[in-house]
Amino acid sequence: MDTYSVIPIRFTLNGDKVSIEAGAHETALTVIRERLSLKGTKEGCGMGECGACTILVDGKSVNACLMAAPQLEGRTVMTVEGLGREGKLHPLQEAFLEHHGVQCGFCTPGLLMSAQSLILETPRPTHKQVVEAISGNLCRCTGYQQIVDAIQYGADKTGGEE
Amino acid sequence: MKSNNGMIGKSIPRIGAIERLLGKPLFSADMELDHPLVLKVLPSDRHHARILDIDTAEAARVEGVVEIFTAEDIPRNHLTGIINKDRPLLAKNKVRSKGDAVALVAALNIHAAETAAKKIHVVYEDLPSVHDPEEALKNHASKVHEKGNLLFTRKIKKGNPEKAFEACAVVVEKTYRTSFLEHTYLEPDAGAGYLDPDGNLVIIASTQNPHYDHSELVSLLGVAPEKVRIVQAATGGGFGSKLDLNVQGFIGLALYHLKRPVMCTFTREETYRMTAKRHPLKMVFKTGADENGHLMAMTAKMICDTGAYGSYGLAVASRAPVHATGPYEIDHVDVECRCVYTNNPFAGAMRGFGVPQAAFAHESQMDLLAEALGMDPLEIRRVNALKAGHKTATGQLLNGSVGIDQCLEAVKPHYENALKTWLHGETDFAKQRGVGLGAMWYGIGNTGVQNPSTAHIEMDGEGRITLYTGCADIGQGSTTVLSQIAAAVLGISPDMLCMVVGDTAFTSNAGATSASRQTYISGNAVKNAAEKLADVLLTEGVDLLKRPKTDLMLENGFVVYKKDPDHRMPFSKIAARAAKRGIPLRWQGYFDPETVPLDPETGEGVPYATYAFACHVALVTVDVLTGEVTVHKIIAAHDVGRAIHPASVEGQIRGGAAMGVGFALMEEYDPSTTRSLKDYHIPTAMDMPEIIPIIIESSEPTGPFGAKGVGEPALIPTAPAVINGITNAVSARIYHLPANLERVLEASIQSGKFTMKEVA
Repeated sequence: MDTYSVIPIRFTLNGDKVSIEAGAHETALTVIRERLSLKGTKEGCGMGECGACTILVDGKSVNACLMAAPQLEGRTVMTVEGLGREGKLHPLQEAFLEHHGVQCGFCTPGLLMSAQSLILETPRPTHKQVVEAISGNLCRCTGYQQIVDAIQYGADKTGGEE
Repeated sequence: MKSNNGMIGKSIPRIGAIERLLGKPLFSADMELDHPLVLKVLPSDRHHARILDIDTAEAARVEGVVEIFTAEDIPRNHLTGIINKDRPLLAKNKVRSKGDAVALVAALNIHAAETAAKKIHVVYEDLPSVHDPEEALKNHASKVHEKGNLLFTRKIKKGNPEKAFEACAVVVEKTYRTSFLEHTYLEPDAGAGYLDPDGNLVIIASTQNPHYDHSELVSLLGVAPEKVRIVQAATGGGFGSKLDLNVQGFIGLALYHLKRPVMCTFTREETYRMTAKRHPLKMVFKTGADENGHLMAMTAKMICDTGAYGSYGLAVASRAPVHATGPYEIDHVDVECRCVYTNNPFAGAMRGFGVPQAAFAHESQMDLLAEALGMDPLEIRRVNALKAGHKTATGQLLNGSVGIDQCLEAVKPHYENALKTWLHGETDFAKQRGVGLGAMWYGIGNTGVQNPSTAHIEMDGEGRITLYTGCADIGQGSTTVLSQIAAAVLGISPDMLCMVVGDTAFTSNAGATSASRQTYISGNAVKNAAEKLADVLLTEGVDLLKRPKTDLMLENGFVVYKKDPDHRMPFSKIAARAAKRGIPLRWQGYFDPETVPLDPETGEGVPYATYAFACHVALVTVDVLTGEVTVHKIIAAHDVGRAIHPASVEGQIRGGAAMGVGFALMEEYDPSTTRSLKDYHIPTAMDMPEIIPIIIESSEPTGPFGAKGVGEPALIPTAPAVINGITNAVSARIYHLPANLERVLEASIQSGKFTMKEVA
């Protein structure tokens, strides 16, 4: 922990090229949150249990708190900030809104990333596939049902585009 | 002006939902300040000990350390607590549990802060510790606080139960136990602070009660109230824990001394170690009924472990006995609940304040009585359900909304269908099915004490309306609901309102987001403010439109003549004219539910102005060889008075049921072993069944548009329904929550199910 060797890292984040230097001991999460000030990705436990820090790395969902920063080298990364924008929500975000899948909203970015990862692989997932895909994302507010409904509905809307 | 312009009962998009979907709102750990110092708390590593010395010299030499604080540095009152001021911000002279904060490090970076915290040398002299509330009440027990270990006793007495038991056809007496629980909101506690240009202390906090935080900071620091401003950050859940001061006091202390931006972010482990837990209760219930199942008498002895500090223990120890009868009329009652200090982690508010624990006991008793009498569990509940005109155990005459009958009626077809068909469906080897019921009642607002809310509404000179409320939205959606209430009164769409929420520089006290009180109490305060403004608009309209007030209404930002909607005047013109003439366009709303304090000896009184009611049906499958329980479906009927935002009510019901499944089956915080989310399991998407919410609207005359509340009621019936379902499946009952694998397997063995299947 006391060794501060610094490593240059280049990767693509939400479509933009990023070039930074990060400490070997840093996680992808600290790079995203602290270095790049993208605060949509949350830290709920720091040990891969809650899924609040889920990001997409080359299209696959990853707990950013468990990923070493140097592992980002050459990867294509997406955080919640890259999914949609004001006035043009991603179909998954639209679906969460319509199905009231947001309560406190702390788990929401991670859940969106897990859902997006699922849809990239399985454009029209079954209920069971959705539940399995988000089983690593804890939510204490909603009981999950409105989230699962939203993901299935959102997948239907995005499915055709993939 | 009492009209509802379609805004009530409509699931409009939640205020703040789009921003949350884009990852935009700043939660308290997300704040960006100019080179903030980071704070680290050194917690006690002793259960109970005198502090002989705190040596910070070595820690202070760590590079990057700016300051180390101990209790000596607290300017005014070092004790905190909303009901009992007994919890030091930093320990003075002694520690009472392993979560007590002993010292606070402020450093340039987290590495320095952590390193320094490890180099603070505390010399302790251990004292005997006590970890069981019954042991703590014995004469020889070590005193956690000087005043003794009994914090509070609540008694509820009505009639003569001992005599009444003699006439009962059946009497059941059992002991029930529950465990410590952790709220486990997804966002760990955090906060930030800075000095504004006038030198005022601004603290951005994850909180359920910004105005309480404000008064506590003023008390700790001894500064003038206007020198402290609390701003509620986007808050990632609370469930009761964020009613206590978790990080706000540390931020305030460092900011006061160092006058530099500071941040304090607890790790999950720190949140688990240093914040409140749910009170474990031991409850001895004795309940008697006549041959028709009419409840004749009940007694209960309850004891709750509040750990090292009171926090909301007094509220828990009041609510649990007040609700001990369940939603049933019983003429003879004697309940006593004692709240006791121990050296365990402190217990405070958690969704339901002791009522989830009490409901586990009273609903288990109902099924035991039904079984003894050969009655159907739903029928015994229907026979005894409270109705308008009935008196509760505290002698309160119920005369408003009492919707328990409707809840029982609503679940009946689901329940009967489950018993008839699902229960007998084919199952895998070693799987047994069961169907269980759980009912509840829940008083809205604080117990027999004043708990007012205030709100302000203001129209500017151009007719724009702003609503100011101190009501903390912690994810349940109160901001949206309050906007709907104001909009309905003022005849506008909610998105025409500007909302200013949870900022003590601008809002007034709305009380805590707790006790399921904000829709009912703050809703009424907002309605009151909006009605005052509406009255001014209509009165001004008389002059401008030359029509009688009774013929005018508010619609889409206009005062409108009802008989000719084209004859109208926009708010902007009325506002401009009113401003010129000095007519006030800012109004305060206020509401405090009518209660009567409970008599200390008999509990007689009116603890709450209104109650919510509910009944859940749980369909469960038990693996008799492993003890694994799968909840297949929950049907959840809730009398909420009026659902102002139905999708949010359903969201509360589903989220509450999830927490109820956790309480029933898996959640247990062991003070000696639970450190993190690895040791404490909450339901995942894979653990959750289909939940079918049924909204019952038994309109409450004193509620805003008839509304009561649902936040805590949502959780309460689930665990009893699941436990009664398990009993139905394995023919053996579990008396200790959670019903984890070991306890269910033990029940399966006791009832012979395990052996039977093993042989088969």
